[in-house]
Amino acid sequence: MRASLTILSLAFGAALPLAAQQTSVVGVRPLAFGGLFPGIPRAVLRTDPANSAQFDLKGHPNGSASLTFLLPAVMTGPAGATLPLVFGGNDGGFSASQSIASQVGFDPRTPYLATFASNRASVFLGGTANPSVSQRAGTYTGTVTLTVVFF
Amino acid sequence: MHTATKVAVLALALVAAGAATGQAQNNATMNVTATVFRPITVAADRQLVFGNVFPGQGAQGMALASPSAGHFSIAGEPSASVSMSWVVSPLSQGANTLPLSLSGTYNTIDNPAGSSLGAFASSTAATLSGGALGQLFVYVIGTVTPAANQVPGNYTGTVQLTVIYQ
Repeated sequence: MRASLTILSLAFGAALPLAAQQTSVVGVRPLAFGGLFPGIPRAVLRTDPANSAQFDLKGHPNGSASLTFLLPAVMTGPAGATLPLVFGGNDGGFSASQSIASQVGFDPRTPYLATFASNRASVFLGGTANPSVSQRAGTYTGTVTLTVVFF
Repeated sequence: MHTATKVAVLALALVAAGAATGQAQNNATMNVTATVFRPITVAADRQLVFGNVFPGQGAQGMALASPSAGHFSIAGEPSASVSMSWVVSPLSQGANTLPLSLSGTYNTIDNPAGSSLGAFASSTAATLSGGALGQLFVYVIGTVTPAANQVPGNYTGTVQLTVIYQ
């Protein structure tokens, strides 16, 4: 019985898909709109090295991955005030080289199938904040979630 | 089948299932942040009053420090850049108008000895005061020039100031 248990343990180790053992998604930079004036929209480009969001992916060379964003419609601020956000059809960017200067744009509102060149890649995100003319002053926050399925 | 053999078969089956799926899912969350500055408020807190003026006496007006000068108070985000723009309606009484010329100054402290507004109807860039309060004060003066045959009566008009962030 003791031998049998040893065999089982080794078998489970091998049963885990290779992808599950060597993949990861890490958020490395938030999407920061900075200071906004009431009534004046502010767009952050996905190529903005300081303010665009960045996720770093670890996958497999020549592998594929499906990228799916969960995007907030608003940020929430003082006393429950909300600030509208808009994500456009070119606000997502995938870089197989992890270079912000070398991205392939995509629509972050729909799933995107990316292909790795090496085992690392980056995803960038821009967007637009639209404060109203009567927007309550203060700090606003929201959350973006990126789900990546590695193939 | 021997017990050990059964376990090995089960393990092999799991290996096959994993290889067939070959997928892994990961996710990460990221914050989205912004800070909204204070809205701008503009208050017209003193009217521009020419009082009694007389036909044929040339241009008649007041000094910047006069209590008859118009006065606006502006507040917003400290040290923010703003643009002031103006809409001035004719000084009129029915179909009669009284020739009007305006000028003024602006200052981050409530003192008329500030920067000149220049050509009055054009937009003027300014910076709100620093510190805890973002303030700007505007003084408006002018002259009216009644003609020798100016129709007597009360003439009124408006000076509208709009301030926006730049």
